[in-house]
Amino acid sequence: MFKQFFLSELRYNLRQPMVYLFFTIVFLLVFAANSTDNVQIGGAIGNVNRNAPHVITVFTSVMCIFGLLFAVAFFNNAALRDHKYNFQDILFATPLNKFGYFFGRFTAALLLSTIPLLGVFFGIALGSFVAPLAGWIEPDRFGPLELSTFLSNYFIFVLPNMLFAGSIIYLLAQRFRSTIVSFVGALIIIIAYSVSGNYLSDLDNETLGALVDTFGNRTYGIVSKYYTPLEKNTLNPSFSGLMLWNRLIWIGLSLGLLAFSYLSFSFSDRKTKVKKEEAKVETSESGSAVKPENIELEASVLGQFFSFFSLNLKSIYKHVTFRILFLFSVILLLTDLISGFEYYGLQSYPLTYRMTDAIDGTTLFIMIILVFFSGELIWRDRDMNINEVIDATPHITLIPLFAKTLSLFSLTLFLHIFFVFITVMYQLIMGYFQIEFSTYFWDFIYNSFPLYLVTSLTLVAVQVLVNNKYVGYMVSVVVILGLDIILSIADVQTNMLRFMGTPYLIYSDMNGFGPSEKGVFWFSLYWLVGALFLLMLSGRFWARGKVSSFKERFNSQLTKPSPRYNILVVTTGALWLGIATFVYYNTQELNPYKTGDDAEQLAIDYETIYKQYKDMPHPKVIEAKYMIDIFPSDRSAEVVSKIALVNPYDAPIDTLLFNVSNQREELYDFPNATLVKKDEKHNVHFYVFDPPFVKGDTIEAKVSMRFSPKGFANGGASTSVVKNGSFFNNFQVLPDIGYNEGKELSDRNKRKKFKLPPKDRMPPLEENCTENCLKNYLTNGYSDYINVETIISTEKGQIAVAPGSMVEQWEENNRNYYKYIVDHPSQNFYSFISADYEVAKRDWNGIAIEIYHDAKHGVNVDKMMDAVERSLAYYTKNFGPYTHKQCRIIEFPRFSTFAQAFPGTMPYSEAFGFVINLEDEEKNNVIDAVIAHEMAHQWWAHQLVGANMQGGTLMSESFSEYSSLMTMKSIAKTPMDMREFLKYDHDRYLRGRASELEKELPLYKVENQSYIHYGKGSVILYALQDYIGEDKVNEAMSEFLVAHKYQTPYPTSLDFLSYLEPKVPDSLNYLIKDWFKEITLYDNRLLSAKAEKLDNGKYAISLEIEARKIKSDSIGNEQEVALNEWVDIGVFADSDEKILMHQKRIKLTEAKTNVLIEADSLPAKAAIDPRHILIDRVFDDNIKTVKID
Amino acid sequence: MKKLQLQQLSKTYANGVKALDNVSIDIDSGMFGLLGPNGAGKSTLMRTIATLQDPDQGSITFGEYNPLTHPTEFRKVLGYLPQEFGVYPRISAEQLLDHLAALKGITNKGERKELVHYLLHKVNLFDKRNKNVKGFSGGMKQRVGIAQALIGNPKVLIVDEPTAGLDPGERNRFYDLISDVGEDVVVILSTHIVDDVRELCTRMAVMNHGRIVFQGTPNEGISALKGKVFEKQINRNELEEYRTNFNVISNRLIGGKPVIHILGEKPDNSFKAIDPSLEDVFFSKLQEQH
Repeated sequence: MFKQFFLSELRYNLRQPMVYLFFTIVFLLVFAANSTDNVQIGGAIGNVNRNAPHVITVFTSVMCIFGLLFAVAFFNNAALRDHKYNFQDILFATPLNKFGYFFGRFTAALLLSTIPLLGVFFGIALGSFVAPLAGWIEPDRFGPLELSTFLSNYFIFVLPNMLFAGSIIYLLAQRFRSTIVSFVGALIIIIAYSVSGNYLSDLDNETLGALVDTFGNRTYGIVSKYYTPLEKNTLNPSFSGLMLWNRLIWIGLSLGLLAFSYLSFSFSDRKTKVKKEEAKVETSESGSAVKPENIELEASVLGQFFSFFSLNLKSIYKHVTFRILFLFSVILLLTDLISGFEYYGLQSYPLTYRMTDAIDGTTLFIMIILVFFSGELIWRDRDMNINEVIDATPHITLIPLFAKTLSLFSLTLFLHIFFVFITVMYQLIMGYFQIEFSTYFWDFIYNSFPLYLVTSLTLVAVQVLVNNKYVGYMVSVVVILGLDIILSIADVQTNMLRFMGTPYLIYSDMNGFGPSEKGVFWFSLYWLVGALFLLMLSGRFWARGKVSSFKERFNSQLTKPSPRYNILVVTTGALWLGIATFVYYNTQELNPYKTGDDAEQLAIDYETIYKQYKDMPHPKVIEAKYMIDIFPSDRSAEVVSKIALVNPYDAPIDTLLFNVSNQREELYDFPNATLVKKDEKHNVHFYVFDPPFVKGDTIEAKVSMRFSPKGFANGGASTSVVKNGSFFNNFQVLPDIGYNEGKELSDRNKRKKFKLPPKDRMPPLEENCTENCLKNYLTNGYSDYINVETIISTEKGQIAVAPGSMVEQWEENNRNYYKYIVDHPSQNFYSFISADYEVAKRDWNGIAIEIYHDAKHGVNVDKMMDAVERSLAYYTKNFGPYTHKQCRIIEFPRFSTFAQAFPGTMPYSEAFGFVINLEDEEKNNVIDAVIAHEMAHQWWAHQLVGANMQGGTLMSESFSEYSSLMTMKSIAKTPMDMREFLKYDHDRYLRGRASELEKELPLYKVENQSYIHYGKGSVILYALQDYIGEDKVNEAMSEFLVAHKYQTPYPTSLDFLSYLEPKVPDSLNYLIKDWFKEITLYDNRLLSAKAEKLDNGKYAISLEIEARKIKSDSIGNEQEVALNEWVDIGVFADSDEKILMHQKRIKLTEAKTNVLIEADSLPAKAAIDPRHILIDRVFDDNIKTVKID
Repeated sequence: MKKLQLQQLSKTYANGVKALDNVSIDIDSGMFGLLGPNGAGKSTLMRTIATLQDPDQGSITFGEYNPLTHPTEFRKVLGYLPQEFGVYPRISAEQLLDHLAALKGITNKGERKELVHYLLHKVNLFDKRNKNVKGFSGGMKQRVGIAQALIGNPKVLIVDEPTAGLDPGERNRFYDLISDVGEDVVVILSTHIVDDVRELCTRMAVMNHGRIVFQGTPNEGISALKGKVFEKQINRNELEEYRTNFNVISNRLIGGKPVIHILGEKPDNSFKAIDPSLEDVFFSKLQEQH
């Protein structure tokens, strides 16, 4: 019986087109993604093969989400086919075997629903074969394909996921016998999946997040997060660890559901609800049986409109689909709010813009509602067979069209208001009372209102024009989602074609909706009027009565709108065309942009034409004077720079190459130099000196720049000069002289594709270097340490800040003027800022600590000053004097989230330090850490900076991150506090190396790779001070600083090591090699920890340790090496690992070691490397609960 | 007194079916029956009058109204109950009628309520006015249908196949309702059931293959056939033979044996002269076309 049902179900479906259609879709998607360079799903970048097992796994697990649709189709059919054709009475009257019927159908559907997903494997296989042959992708981007990859993916992802989806959908279908309910079931699975993603936001919740993931693809993400390129190229997913548990949980749940639905399944037809005809006579109102007289009929547009509107509105909110979607959007919003706004273990205050961001997270649901109900509303009358009655009433033809559209839109309005209500309640509950209703309002006006209205208008128009509900749905989805994909393939970037495309808008407390406001306004207007025009146009095709074809609908005498309507349509169309022209003019003519492919081609051309000038000498800047006028209201600025230049080289300089920019107007006045060539396409100008500029000569050049926005642009507007919070640096106002390697195409695989020679990220590290050490990596030979003077002005009400001490301040022409002079020659790298600030000041041993912040953001200022003081204290004591007279932290708008160090000045984004809730933070925290890091740059980067070669960033970024850790350590209360911070640095390093594009380098040769210089550098220096002593490391650093402070040639990492090595005792000498010069990883674990009570009342804890030391090469080939290591072991008093009661450092020489420690009382846990200072990919297994023998 | 005049209406569908073929009828006030078999083009004609469909050719006038060129004006005096009258889900009978009353142009909310209550009383559904109309039985729904058609005192009332699927009791109730409509109203009842016309209509037309093959009063039709219809009981196997030899307009089984009606001269005494019924008129008119 099982076999019969199984085979007949299979046979039936294999004769239907559906399974082939789904298969083809998946196949083509994967094939296209795998064989073109434009699509990069699955992380097939850098050294990871395009068909690496990792890539195949990511493809498979992502496609499983789409697989839900297939599951609905097959399982729903398997359960309902007999009912659909009313065959059940006949079928169920035969002596059927329940087991055979139920499971035969189920198994067949399960098998069928996995078939489309096999398209992933075929797509990859064909892509791997065809793409290299056809020359679409270089052959070396593909590795060998193993059958085992496909098999393990099938059994780990495809089959269990379809089993889970199937068991739910089969159950729902058997119970409710409604396709809609089955679809809703699939929707719920997707929502449950996306909600489970919220648990992943913090490192601490990772395990939970991995287990609750329905499809196991985030689980795989966690399992594979530290995979090196080599591992990505070779490892198949396996049933082990978190993945095993996740799969067991979900397979178990699926089987449980299946058993439940089997047991509750019965052949007898579901009892049809017998509706009781209530006999009760209603007496409340008798109603008159007398015919009312004299009722006037008047064609009241308003009355008819309102009746249509309210009836249709009611029909949506009473709809079960709407209620389910509504419920889930609320759940999503609530989970979003409850999980909070986490930032490295801290929480942001519930600022209004965070609330509006959370509300915008529900957009997906609203879009689904709009798609579904646009079809539902337009087809409702016809689906219910009431259309003829409605159509024969004397209403004006287009009233229902507009009333229905409005009812659809108003629903989104009600939803939005409800969401605002929820978020305001949340703010109040959290005790946050600075509720900004104007932000809620304007966010709605800029973000939600146009989107929802345009979508409503467009989708209704689509339904009317297409005149077929399901084709209409398809077209709707293509318009909303598909268009973007098509445009990106065609390399078209204009927002005028992307559905509801507008420039990117981001709200900032300092600057409101920012400089893109104007562009967003015009684009929104363009879409609104365009969509309205489309809807009005569709009105000409409104189906009233029995008409069908396009022509019939257009020509029908019966629906022909009044001539006035036609005039209105034409007027709207003309208005739209006008707006479109205006938008086109602004975004294409006034502010042209380059598409991805164009920009790539320009980079290639620039390199091929101008690379020959790479070594052409150019003069050095030795002094700079700026006159800057900022006009925040116009978003414009004028900068006149007087720069003194010298030719330090033996050869005379006769030609200068300038890279100009079309973002600004620029004017150069170089004595004796004339413009000889202009390449407008590649933005290169040549000036020739006559007479040539000879060695030792100094000239003073005058450079004028003007930034002023013209109209609005297609993408986001420049955020350098804005209404409040202008922020730009000297590189934006000084000429870009000489061939700029930064403009070259950098992606290794793209360079190969375009036949460009491989490019070094950085010049190689040299020992005893002289000439190449004359350039540092910040200014690259453009200048060394220079004097800077700035006169800067801004409009009244704002403060303008430039580097150095403010020596003069005055008012003129109703503007504020300031003069700043840098106190000590510094790196030619500084910022200019203007905003309406409040300034908090504090004096520390003659150094002014100043925090420039927005009036709304004063809450953390005291704590931030404490952090500055703490840094000054530690660094002056350990490294040397501070060379400026002031330390400024200056808030800038939320357009980006970073902090940066310029001489004496540290711009800090409003997005974090100023809005994070530190009320309950007794200890050090990431906000302090960032300040300490930037403060450390005042020594490491500004007093001493590495030469422009490998290892250069060790001395700035790694040192600063280390310094920051040390200030935190200085106030840490327990040895365990620091583990929390190091955790992020470990993660940063291990994740970073997993997505390395070219090659991982040892620390001393770091090529400006942030995961190495921040992540690994800080962990290693921290561990080093733990091994050899804090004072030893600091001594080495300060001696190194003294030797190279404000000096050229610039030092290299080898120079630093020469100061460090003498400080390291011989017994630990291996650390320099292992940690700085090679890539070393540890794989330590505690196998068991057993405690035994001793006669003296103490406890002996015997630890069984396994330790391995691994050397890795640049792409992740690992080799185990002999162990001869000092490693900590320790025991915790508590199971939270807060109290480290005992710790000792032991030497390990064997892979397995047994150690005995004595403790005064019974410890809860024991660990190897308890403070996590060694780089270990899996740290969790280093700790075990202590068992008593 | 206004007359609904249809002149030379023609309509051919895209698939080549000629649904209306030069249809011209004058319809006075009172009950007018449009009789025809399924597929005769009745519904097309009804929809055309109800301003739901354009004819390819022809014109319609109703006094100063011209439904084809100024449909909105005509719709104000029109009541229409289509062949399949569906209702919205999750809505009560009263809400539905209120909506339709608003569309007909009764703007005042109070007036609308009064009228809807009156109509609900009239169709005997007042007690069920707050019930979900989707759950109504076929007959009840049809009563809601006639109630909506009566909103706004229509001058022209079109009911298309109203009794199909109703049981005899419901059908009688429906007859009562429809015959209650004022005498100065043009009521067009389209049906394929001869009884409907016999019971209700003063004038009638027979339609087949898109053409009007007869129009007049039922009595005119019957008297025209007087003395021309004969009846005979025959054996089943003789049916074909009789069909070829005589103008057989109908046959039905009585006690398992076919009884045929023929039109023409009495062939022999085995045939019995009968008083023609409206049914004979109907079948004879259909026959004429062949």
